[in-house]
Amino acid sequence: MTVEEINVVRPLGLGETSGRRGDEARSVVGGRTGLFTTADLSVYYGSFRAVRNVDLSITEHEITAFIGPSGCGKTTVLRCFNRMNDLIDSARVEGIVAYHGVNLYDPDVNPVEVRRRIGMVFQKPNPFPKSIYDNVAYGPRLSGIKKRNDLDDIVERALRGAALWDEVKDRLKASGLGLSGGQQQRLCIARAVAVEPEVILMDEPCSALDPIATARIEDLMQEMKQRYTIIIVTHNMQQAARVSDRTAFFTTEINEESDRRTGVLVEFDRTETMFSSPTDERTEQYVTGRFG
Amino acid sequence: MNELRKGFHEDLDEAKSELVRLAALVTEAIPRATAVLLDGDLEGADLLIRADDEMDARAIDLEERCYHILALQAPVASDLRQVIALLRMVAEVERSNDLLCNICKAARRIYGHELDPKLRGIISRMGEQAQQLYEAAIESFVQNDAAKAAAIDDMDSYLDGLQKQFVQAIFESHAAGRIDLQVAVQLAVVARFYERIGDHAVNIGERVRFVVTGWVPEHKGAERYRRFVEGTGQIPRIDDAMVPPDDSGEDAS
Repeated sequence: MTVEEINVVRPLGLGETSGRRGDEARSVVGGRTGLFTTADLSVYYGSFRAVRNVDLSITEHEITAFIGPSGCGKTTVLRCFNRMNDLIDSARVEGIVAYHGVNLYDPDVNPVEVRRRIGMVFQKPNPFPKSIYDNVAYGPRLSGIKKRNDLDDIVERALRGAALWDEVKDRLKASGLGLSGGQQQRLCIARAVAVEPEVILMDEPCSALDPIATARIEDLMQEMKQRYTIIIVTHNMQQAARVSDRTAFFTTEINEESDRRTGVLVEFDRTETMFSSPTDERTEQYVTGRFG
Repeated sequence: MNELRKGFHEDLDEAKSELVRLAALVTEAIPRATAVLLDGDLEGADLLIRADDEMDARAIDLEERCYHILALQAPVASDLRQVIALLRMVAEVERSNDLLCNICKAARRIYGHELDPKLRGIISRMGEQAQQLYEAAIESFVQNDAAKAAAIDDMDSYLDGLQKQFVQAIFESHAAGRIDLQVAVQLAVVARFYERIGDHAVNIGERVRFVVTGWVPEHKGAERYRRFVEGTGQIPRIDDAMVPPDDSGEDAS
């Protein structure tokens, strides 16, 4: 069974109810279309509301960047797109995150399947303490692919897709941890794409890398968006400007009574607009460095 | 609010101030050039022409500062618009000063020729109107006032009208034998210089609107071209006549 076939037979673990729930999700998002559409999305950690009322739509085969000061909720929102917040006990999500019109937080949705369709690359490269080959083959093996030839093909395709093949093809059995930081991050991208996801979430993927390795990843992202939809959280505004098609700016609002900070989405537009003529004064102040 | 990138914003403010200073020099030089022309003040003409070297040097210096800001600070949003606008505006200001020099050079050429009162009156009014346009352009930039900037275009129509009147008066004066052909040609060119200074002020006003609102000035010709391409689906050759007859009297802009 190929990865593509698995995608067809395991639609997020949803059964008969998927159509109805999907319609419900679509109706809430009120005509906005997108691969992902969030509606009134809020995330709580215990009683603390970390981010509130986020409405945005992610367009397929585009790179969407989330920018904003620390604590504005951009990573929290990113983690909603593949239910990574489920792994935090106190985290609770309200509102809708519709993916192909299906609410990802529907109780019938299988979060493991969600994470296979929607891969993630983290800030710090985190290869498994395994060989380069086994790192990439890990996901496909879990999906039930056993044949050596099939795995070889997948590993090569994924490493090529992550622009790493030429550098590692002669040492696939070597440990992934022996690679440079930039290579490790591309190995993690290869690992993410090996299971043929539709979306790749990137949480500051270049913050631990030098400028050359960063430029490689940025080039790679441009190639990858032909096949995948990418959402990237970045602290580097110039990176957002360089790589993304659309940019969402989040900021924090301070509740004067409780002195608590809550993240809000301020503005979401085409990247050239966000960095040339943003509409909201807060975006203007943030991107020009008048507010930090 | 925590002001970040303070040094950068100070550099940007200083670059803006320098542009304002250069534009102010032009504004002050307009009545002086007019006086040079009307009074046949050759010494004053020399002074203004020599002062243009300083304008050239400071304009290049400001352009370099803008380059450095772009290279080192990667400005965005309103900061980026301001740097781009400064680069455009400094060229307008520098060119305006060149035109004032040209008026002074014309004054040398017609030295000793008497001009009749009608011609002198219109020259005087063209000088005043050009100065007002420049003042309005600088004020709108200093005050970030897009509405005032937009009004400059209308003010310029009056200057264009004066130029046409002046050319007519030149014909009359020449026909009546009060000025010879050489002087008539020089005066016609002078009128054109004033009119061009007004155009530069209009361009500065358009860049102010760009800084404030992000609106990119769209000139009539560009709009006409787009309409032509959209209407016909063809890219016209450069020598194709695209200008409809009723627009033929307009200046290229």
